[in-house]
Amino acid sequence: MPRRKPGTLVPLEVEILEVAVSMRRAGHATFHGFGLARRMREQSGSRSLTAHGTLYKALGRLEEFGLLTSRWEDAAAATEGRPRRRLYALTGEGARTAERVSTAAAPRPRVASEPA
Amino acid sequence: MNPERMASLVARWVRFYTRDLPAPIAERRIDEIDADLHDHIAHDRAAGTSERRIALAVASRMVRGLAADAAWHRRQPKAAARRPLHRSAVRVAVGVAVVLAIPLVGMLLSDGVAWSVADFVAAGVLLATIGVVLELVVRKAGNLLLALVVGGLGVTAAVLGELDDAPGLVLLGLLLIVSACALGVRTARRA
Repeated sequence: MPRRKPGTLVPLEVEILEVAVSMRRAGHATFHGFGLARRMREQSGSRSLTAHGTLYKALGRLEEFGLLTSRWEDAAAATEGRPRRRLYALTGEGARTAERVSTAAAPRPRVASEPA
Repeated sequence: MNPERMASLVARWVRFYTRDLPAPIAERRIDEIDADLHDHIAHDRAAGTSERRIALAVASRMVRGLAADAAWHRRQPKAAARRPLHRSAVRVAVGVAVVLAIPLVGMLLSDGVAWSVADFVAAGVLLATIGVVLELVVRKAGNLLLALVVGGLGVTAAVLGELDDAPGLVLLGLLLIVSACALGVRTARRA
């Protein structure tokens, strides 16, 4: 399988950024893994949810690129008897990149900078 | 299989492929997927999806993500590379003691074996060197200079052993040379 060029986004990562932007516009500043997978399924019209490995690997990459940040939700929020969620949020650079790639024609846009 | 049992299977898989990763990385992945599994099952149940379909969906997400799990795992730093030094030291010490026990027992059982204290010290030093080099090989540490020094030490021991008619010393020299070669190959591959 060909290796990706450093600093490039794969289509799934672009899709995550675009969905994150649309969720932010809808008033959701943060999102969690399953919520994101569900929203991606709705927007793409797919029948299945993104696989665990694929989803969390992509989220990790976007975090490495500085396009997302993440934190564990407050303990108080997990009192409903469910495991705590990892909450992700777009960074300023992530929002700018999402806007740029969603208007660009190229299917594999380059990210502005390499991860630190 | 019901959704909870399938989720348990997925959780076991996650724990399996994160078992050799540093604790913070492994725990984050485990907790994140546990939360995802819980949310997935709760959401689909609320939507009226059958138990069988939920279980199949959970299994499908695991299976389709296996390649990504493996790729992600390869990119992570391994906890094994950061094994505590004291464990290596204990392994080397036990190895040296076990090997040195052979001539010691031989001296007790037969007059044909006669090692002096200096022999034991020299053999202990050479065996410890071999042990340390092998630990470095396993840890993918060390460098070419060290491999050359150990190789030189091995050649010296083998030559001295040959001159002194000491087959044990020749054997240790050869072992040193072999371990130096292993270290050199590992170092060259890493470069």
